[in-house]
Amino acid sequence: MTRPTPLERGSLRSRVAAAVTVAVALVWTLVPLAWMALSSVKPSEQVTAATPDLLFRPTLGNYRALFTGANDLAPYIWHSMLAAGAAAVLAVVLGAPAGYGLARTRTRGKRHLSFWIISTRMAPIAAVVLPLFLIYRRLGLLDSVPGLVLAYLTFSLPFAIWLMSAFFAQVPPALEESALVAGCSRWQAFRYVVLPLTKPGLVTTFVLCLVFSWNDYAFALVFSGPDSQTLPIAASQLVTQTGIDWGQLTAIGTIVVVPMMLVGIAVRRWLVTGLTLGAVTGE
Amino acid sequence: MTAPAAPAGAAAGPTRTAPRPRRPGRLPGFEGRMMTPGLLLLAALSIVPFLAIIVMSLARVRLLGGVGLHWVGADNWTRFFTDPDLGWAWIRTAVYFTLTVGLEMLAGVGLALAVWRLARGRNAALTLLLLPMFVAPVIVGLLGRFLTDSTFGLYTWMLRQIGYHGDIMGSKTSAFTAVVLMDVWEWTPLITLITLAGLTSIPASLREAAAIDGAGGWSMLAHIILPSISNVLLVALLIRSMDAIRYFDVIWVTTGGGPADATKTVPVRLYETAFRFFDLGYAAAIGLAMLAASIVVARAFIRVLDREGLTR
Repeated sequence: MTRPTPLERGSLRSRVAAAVTVAVALVWTLVPLAWMALSSVKPSEQVTAATPDLLFRPTLGNYRALFTGANDLAPYIWHSMLAAGAAAVLAVVLGAPAGYGLARTRTRGKRHLSFWIISTRMAPIAAVVLPLFLIYRRLGLLDSVPGLVLAYLTFSLPFAIWLMSAFFAQVPPALEESALVAGCSRWQAFRYVVLPLTKPGLVTTFVLCLVFSWNDYAFALVFSGPDSQTLPIAASQLVTQTGIDWGQLTAIGTIVVVPMMLVGIAVRRWLVTGLTLGAVTGE
Repeated sequence: MTAPAAPAGAAAGPTRTAPRPRRPGRLPGFEGRMMTPGLLLLAALSIVPFLAIIVMSLARVRLLGGVGLHWVGADNWTRFFTDPDLGWAWIRTAVYFTLTVGLEMLAGVGLALAVWRLARGRNAALTLLLLPMFVAPVIVGLLGRFLTDSTFGLYTWMLRQIGYHGDIMGSKTSAFTAVVLMDVWEWTPLITLITLAGLTSIPASLREAAAIDGAGGWSMLAHIILPSISNVLLVALLIRSMDAIRYFDVIWVTTGGGPADATKTVPVRLYETAFRFFDLGYAAAIGLAMLAASIVVARAFIRVLDREGLTR
C-alpha cells in the first residue's frame, strides 16, 4: 500500500480538511448504529421519549422480552443460520470447482459463459422472486428452509463461481504444472496445491455469501412461513397496525447486525476483491 | 409448432464442421468436469425461472385452487406500455437511481481522498466507515423510520433544534429524500472502499514526479489522481448501479411507496402488483423489463473487464 508522501499530502490546511471530513463521515455513519445499540438496552418507556434521553439505567429487558413472549425469537435465529449457512456452504462447495474450471478453461464460449454467470448474479430480485414463487407453489417448496436455500443460491452461486474464478486466476498455472510433473493428478494439483493458496478467497466468498443471504428480506418475505421465517422477517413483523415496540425492534436489529459486522470486518483485506467480483484488487 | 425441427437443425450442426483435433482445454476436459455440477445447478436456477417469467408475462395467473395459467397473449404488455402509473414509477426510479448512485459516487470518492490523506488511523477509520454495508437493508429501513419518527425520532429532534418542524415521512419531498439518504448511508462506504483501493495502487513515483513538477492540490487531483483511477471508478459505478436496480427493501419497509406514491419505484410497484393484488402476469412483464435494464449494465461491466483483460 502506498501512502502519500509528506510533500504531496499537501498543506496543513488540506490535511485538517481531510481529518474534519473523515470525522464528519464517522459521526454520520456511527450515530444511527450507536443509537440503535443504546435504545436496545434502554427501559422501553425511555426508548420513545420525545427528547433524546442519554441518562438511563441499562437493562436487558428488551432482549429478554424477545425470547420469552409468545413470539420467541429463537426459531427465527435458527432458520436464519440454517438457510444462510447452508446457502453459503453450497455456494462455495459448488462454486469453487466451477470457478477453477472457468479460470483455466480455454473454450471458445468462455465469454458467453462469463456473461451468463454475471447476468444471473445481477438479475433484479423481483424478477427472480416471481417465477420462483409460482414454481415453489407447484412443488410445495413454499415455507421451507430448503426453498430459501435454493432461492439464495440464485444469487450466491453465480457470485461464488465468478469470485472464485477471479481468485484462481491469480494463482500462476506454472504451480499446477510442476505438481503434474511431480506425478499429481489434475484433481490432486487442484486440491493440494491451488486450493490451499486460495484460502483467503474461499473464506471471503463464504463470508459474503453468508452476509447477502442472512440480510435477505425480499425472498424471505414471499417464500417463508411459520416454519422458515428468518430474522429480517421477525424484525418487520414487529411493525403492526397498533404500533411498534421500538425497544424490541432495536434489540432484533442489534442481533441481526452485529454478527455480520464481525465476519465482514474479519475479511476486510479481501473485501475489495470480493465486492467488485475480482475487478479491483486492493492492498 | 416447429419444435421437431429444432433437434434436426442441431444435429445437422456438427456434421457441417470438420472434426477438429481435441485441444487440451476443450470442454469435456478436466475444467469441464469441474464446472459441470455448479453450472448445471445454476442453469436450473436461472433458465427455468427465466422461461417461467416469460410464460407468466403472457398469461393471467390463477393461484386459488392450484396454479393455473390462462393465456392472454400480449394483454399484459399492452398494459405495460400504456399504464401511466407505471410510467411515473419508471421516472421516479430513474430519479432515485441517479440521486442515490450520484451522491454515493461523489461522497464516496471525496471520503476516500480524505481517508487517503489521513496521517494516522487510516485503517481504524476505514473499518468503522465500512460498517453500514453489513447492515441488512430491512434494518436500515426500520432504523431510518425510528430515527425520523415524528414524535420521538432522534433526527426529527435534531432538525427541530434547527427550525425544521415537518413530518419527515409524511410529506412527499422529505420522504423521498429520506429513502435516498438511507441508501446513501448504507452504500457510500462501498465506493470509498473501492476508490481507496485504486488510490493506494497509484505508483508513488508518478505522484512524486508530478509534485516535483509543481503540480499541487487540485491540479494533482484533476490531472494525475483521477485519471489514474478512472477505471476503478467505472467499476465502482457499474457495481453499485447493478445493485441499485436489485434492491428495494428500504423503501418497502419505510414508506411502502407512499406518501401519495412519492417513493413508488418500479420494484415496489412490482411487489405490490404481484403480492398485494396478485396480478402475477402483469408483474412478470414489469420484471422482464427490469431484467433487460440490468442486463444492459452487466454488459457494460463485462466490456470494462474485457478492455482491461480482466475476464482472463
